[in-house]
Amino acid sequence: MSESREPKPSPGVCIPWEEKSKELPKISGDEGLVRKVWEDIDGLAYTYIWQCLLSF
Amino acid sequence: MANDMEQLYAARLKRYVTAMRNGKPDMIPIRPFVAEFTAKYAGYTCQEVTHDFEKAFAAARKCAADFDWDAVVGNMVYVWTGLTQAIGMKYYAVPGIDIPADIGFQYLEPPERKAFMKPDQYDQLIADPTGFLFNVWLPRVSADVSATGEATSYRNNLSFLKGGMAMLNYFNAFGRQNALLRSESGTVSAISGILKAPMDILADKLRGYIGLCLDLVERPEKVLAACEALMPHLTHVALSGADPEKNVPIGLWMHRGCVPFVSREHFERFYWPTLKPIIEEIWSRGHQVLFYAEGNWDAHLESFAELPDGAIVYHVDKGDIFDVHSVLGKKFCISGGIPNFLLSYGTEQEVRDYCRKLIDGVARDGGYIMDAGAIMQNDTKAENLRAMTEFAREYGVY
Repeated sequence: MSESREPKPSPGVCIPWEEKSKELPKISGDEGLVRKVWEDIDGLAYTYIWQCLLSF
Repeated sequence: MANDMEQLYAARLKRYVTAMRNGKPDMIPIRPFVAEFTAKYAGYTCQEVTHDFEKAFAAARKCAADFDWDAVVGNMVYVWTGLTQAIGMKYYAVPGIDIPADIGFQYLEPPERKAFMKPDQYDQLIADPTGFLFNVWLPRVSADVSATGEATSYRNNLSFLKGGMAMLNYFNAFGRQNALLRSESGTVSAISGILKAPMDILADKLRGYIGLCLDLVERPEKVLAACEALMPHLTHVALSGADPEKNVPIGLWMHRGCVPFVSREHFERFYWPTLKPIIEEIWSRGHQVLFYAEGNWDAHLESFAELPDGAIVYHVDKGDIFDVHSVLGKKFCISGGIPNFLLSYGTEQEVRDYCRKLIDGVARDGGYIMDAGAIMQNDTKAENLRAMTEFAREYGVY
């Protein structure tokens, strides 16, 4: 698949923080906060596609 | 919440959980999986409860309040077609649109040549299951979603926005529904979370049953690798929806992994080795799984007996519940087993007679939950369901 990434995302993840963080400037504030919010919202997208598969 | 209703809820929860742990509660708990039956009983059409989940919720609450049931599912008409239509999903026949308004929704499996995953796409799925679902599967199952590389569209963009917001709206509404079941009728929400076996997912939503059967012969290593790639994701999804209190089980909806849909060899090589570790992982975290053994899985009872004591609740549809009890009864709680045809076409006395036979045969020592074999649709007679309920209350006291 042309858009597959290495390493493949873990369960609960669509775009890993490690991949996203490379796109950002140096974070001067609380990086943990930025990471947590990214991962929480990214997890919603994961839930969406897997629930489409399983529940709908 | 009225104190007496809270006391009723606590008693029902204790009864239900005790039975699920294969213990002997004060009486046999009743946990009917009522789907389109709720519509008929509450005065709605199938279209209304399938397309408007608030009506489905209201119908479920009315049944819970009117019948003396310990636990129900907040909405057993589980596919909200308002959402599936909003995102352009192709594989449902929706009541009132594609089929008559008072027929339950139907799943439309495509012919093998139009399968949602092609036989040469196993490696893509194995490499990145989540990416495959977004980039390949969703564009195939949705009339609105553009495939990777295609021009995007207004419909494509709206599909994700509407779908995401609608799904949050629907899932969040279950919290309120469960609270209303508790406060209005003291009824327990019966399950929490969803699981399907990796091989069932391949058959149901990716390759189709015919395609999978061909693959089991022509590319068995790919099938096994795909099942293994799905395992961690299905485990994650199941645990993410599990009951934080660890009272009620995660529902496992078992479809076509059994004899005669597949051979015993295929069950033992593909289905069971990629499901059993998921169940063991979930149990290690303190959650039971409800095996909703749709159809007849009696050929595989010895395999299920390999699981740790108490790890599952085993629900019997068309299997021989007396055989099931003899093989699994010392390890697991059993539920179901009342034939649906009896509830739809039998008499009240026939229902009572069968309930007596079943209770005598499998429920004398606890570890049994009263229910029909399969989810109850709008052919179920209310008077027969009431006869099942009243008999269980009269004869099912320990």
